[in-house]
Amino acid sequence: MDAREDQEDVDRVLAGDISAFERIVQRWQAPLVNLAYRFCRDRSRAEDMAQEAFLRAFRGLKGWRRDAAFSTWIFAIATNFYRSELRRIPEGTLPLDSIESLAALNAELIEPKDEDRDRAVRRAVSALPGKYKDVFVLFYFHEMDISATSRSLGLPEGTVKARLSRGRKILRGRLPQFLGELNLEEAQ
Amino acid sequence: MKPDELDRVLSREAEIIPSSGFVRSVMAAVRSEASAPPPIPFPWKRALPGLLVCIFAIAWSVVDAFRSPARAAVSVIPQTVTHWIDGVVPLLDTAQMYGAEWVLLGLLLTFAGLKLTLHLAGGRV
Repeated sequence: MDAREDQEDVDRVLAGDISAFERIVQRWQAPLVNLAYRFCRDRSRAEDMAQEAFLRAFRGLKGWRRDAAFSTWIFAIATNFYRSELRRIPEGTLPLDSIESLAALNAELIEPKDEDRDRAVRRAVSALPGKYKDVFVLFYFHEMDISATSRSLGLPEGTVKARLSRGRKILRGRLPQFLGELNLEEAQ
Repeated sequence: MKPDELDRVLSREAEIIPSSGFVRSVMAAVRSEASAPPPIPFPWKRALPGLLVCIFAIAWSVVDAFRSPARAAVSVIPQTVTHWIDGVVPLLDTAQMYGAEWVLLGLLLTFAGLKLTLHLAGGRV
């Protein structure tokens, strides 16, 4: 992503050229939709949430202080909205099972056993208490970058590290239960 | 499961591709937002006299409560609470005279709610 392009497009939008916002949406649609998907695990809802995040960004463009990168700003807006939206309407049953969602995934070749375990891990992450889940989602979305995670969440890096560590402990405790549930589902 | 295994599993999240109409849909929402009339501003000019009267009435009742400490001295309730009650009672009487007791009660409840919210929000940080 070119930061200069973002800045130029923001300037154009603020000068009244709304069509410049389309280029911002094109550049950021994939990251924002994917981030939303990691929160809600529902493709259709992820797009709705990302759309609202873009609208909020559009409304708040004047508030973007140029000392922070545009990416940091837009991720913070999206993250805040996604978290509040998920608190308002928690995610439902994990549509990782849904064929429609899976068809759209750029699935890597994963052995079946690994796939089951991965699914259990993701379910366990989804079931974490909100403050740990948020940190987990952002940490892995930002490719394990603590600093980017803390900026998106507006939390100190120490808090992010502490929540990651505590969240991992909770996950390790709960994972056998989720693996057991998966085995039960398969047996039925 | 080891931490690095957990990292490997959670880092290997597959990417989803936004649907083809996503940008169009966002831009339609953005254009609709941009063409919407600006929100109606709060009518400060009209509300200001009423707000000033309320502030004056509350300040007056607080001053009045401090002028008559004898009533509060006999009470077992903490002094700050009795002062507050002593301040509110004449205010309610006055409001009742003008048939505005419900308005005053509403304002007091809003104030109490606001104070409680701020207190709770402050405690979360």
